[in-house]
Amino acid sequence: MKITFPHLGNVCFAAKALFNELGIECVVPPPNNKEALEIGTLYSPEEICLPFKIMIGNYIKSIEEGADTIIITGSCGPCRFGEYCELQMNILKKLNKKVDFIVMDVPSDIGIKEMFSRIGKISHSSSKSKKEKIKALYKALKIINMIDDIEADAHYIAGYEKNTGEAKRFLNKCKRDAINSKSADEMINILTEYKRKINSVEIDKQKKPLKIAIIGEIYTIIEPFSNFYIEDKLMDYGVSTKRTLSPSWWVKNTALSPLRINSLDIKKASKEYLPLCIGGHARECIGEAVIAKNEGFDGAIQIFPMGCMPEIVSKAILPTVSKDLNMPIMSLIVDEMTGEAGYLTRIEAFIDLLERRRKSVLFRS
Amino acid sequence: MKIGILASLLYYKYQSFINNFFYELGCEIISSGETNKRILDDGVKYCVDEACLPIKVFHGHVYSLRKKSDMIFIPRIMRLHKNEFICPKFCGLPEMIKNSIPDLPPMIQDTLYADSKDGLKNWAFSIGEKITNDKIKIENAFSISLKKQIESKKGIKDKNYKINVALAGHPYNIYDDFLNMNVVKKLNRLNVGVMTEEKLNEEYINRQVLKLYKKPFWTFARYTYGFTSYLAENKLVDGIVYISSFACGIDSVVIELIKDRIGSFPFLILKIDEHTGEAGFDTRIEAFADMLERRKAIEDNISASW
Repeated sequence: MKITFPHLGNVCFAAKALFNELGIECVVPPPNNKEALEIGTLYSPEEICLPFKIMIGNYIKSIEEGADTIIITGSCGPCRFGEYCELQMNILKKLNKKVDFIVMDVPSDIGIKEMFSRIGKISHSSSKSKKEKIKALYKALKIINMIDDIEADAHYIAGYEKNTGEAKRFLNKCKRDAINSKSADEMINILTEYKRKINSVEIDKQKKPLKIAIIGEIYTIIEPFSNFYIEDKLMDYGVSTKRTLSPSWWVKNTALSPLRINSLDIKKASKEYLPLCIGGHARECIGEAVIAKNEGFDGAIQIFPMGCMPEIVSKAILPTVSKDLNMPIMSLIVDEMTGEAGYLTRIEAFIDLLERRRKSVLFRS
Repeated sequence: MKIGILASLLYYKYQSFINNFFYELGCEIISSGETNKRILDDGVKYCVDEACLPIKVFHGHVYSLRKKSDMIFIPRIMRLHKNEFICPKFCGLPEMIKNSIPDLPPMIQDTLYADSKDGLKNWAFSIGEKITNDKIKIENAFSISLKKQIESKKGIKDKNYKINVALAGHPYNIYDDFLNMNVVKKLNRLNVGVMTEEKLNEEYINRQVLKLYKKPFWTFARYTYGFTSYLAENKLVDGIVYISSFACGIDSVVIELIKDRIGSFPFLILKIDEHTGEAGFDTRIEAFADMLERRKAIEDNISASW
């Protein structure tokens, strides 16, 4: 069995470490790029959302490298993501690719028995003992938490650093080194090292950088290729950014959701505008905008793929949030046709607007 | 009390219940009437740009009633059947309206989980209590309107046509004659009979769905998929006409699933949005009708893809 999985931001680090530890061969698809998107657009239904198309590109590249089993998470919420597995199976079957799908649905929808049999498919092909398997899972969780932490720190520090670009350089180097590491322990060591490095970047506490929260649909904000590396660009402009949704947040949220104690702060913040979960991460989107204001952020950028049903609802609500809180919020919609130049212009204009709202325009060196 | 009822979205499916319920409660019902150009234009103006056509039209209906009624009925419908959803936009509909249209009268926006009779009843009572304190009156209104809803006959099944097609899609696309530009009449004029999903027993629909890897979690998806695939497999109709609004998330999935199942069976997808031109629409329907006629003429039914 040679396992592969679609990209979702930093998940590839944890997944690679997990399968290495379990002794299962795994193929990490090449980082998302134009080629993956082109392949995906060619084979996918026309009106499906962007994540689907990029994922198809990932699968086909991985299958070319010999992968024969695909792992994806599922959902039975009202969002389209839950139907991805079925459509993707059909597409790959039509292309004559012989692959197995392992869909990780929540047990409340498929039953606990089916859930265990699906996990069993993976764990049976590992020759390790039970104890080692649990250890591997623990290490993978640790890695995903560490890398998300490092990323969040780097994005925040970027506004304060004395030598422009230092945090970004460390972050990129950290990712490159981590993915090339041979074992989970080595990866954890590398991450610990870079965490220290990023936290010791020289900062200027007097600086008052612009702070922008990135909110919206989870895939398009986590996967940098799909949003034209917006966070990297904002780092270059010396803007501090914050993004609550991340793979580690998702793991925590999913684990706590049966007890209904997941993301209490977000639920509380969004109560006035959207009191119910309507699928996807629409409620989180609204809640984060409110929280960002409370934390003193200057603005928020919402990103979602064209046609995303839950985010359309939140886009309708955000203007009211923006008016009530006196905080600018911009919505960016991405699909395979988005042109980078127009997209950049909008980001730059938004930053200019935020700067001018402050009293002095000339604070940036 | 004047209650504004919107003749849009799921009203097309549950109009007997809604109308009778408020009538029995002693309300004056102000209906927004059939969709027209003005409603569409207002909807496009006020609704968020990315929404689909039915949602935009719904905004237009609300706008047309906002000065005429004391209360507007915009229920938040979460689910109609067990473990199924409708569409995220339905779940967030009251919020979308509230934040898009200014100067609205109070709204009845109770959340409905119609997967059990108790859920439905609680919902009806929480609405009734806003209008009257008389519990017996609410109880009566509820049972009468539920009975009328169950008795009401819906759906189209034409007889005496040589060629018949299945007309699939969401109910509010099929029955809103302004949005679909009278597609049923157009088909009939071309001597094509129409059948809709209400005329097929639900058991057949549910049996079709079992063949999928994952049971669809949208009510619309289950109905449309089961209906079209059953008719196609059993050759009960000559073709399928699917009316779909542009950028509909559910249709983008269901259409692919249907295509996958029925193979080369004649399948016409009519996309509608606020710009749809009627001439192009007519041409496509005529071409499809011609094709079905010729297929029928050739005895061995050679697939159109040859």
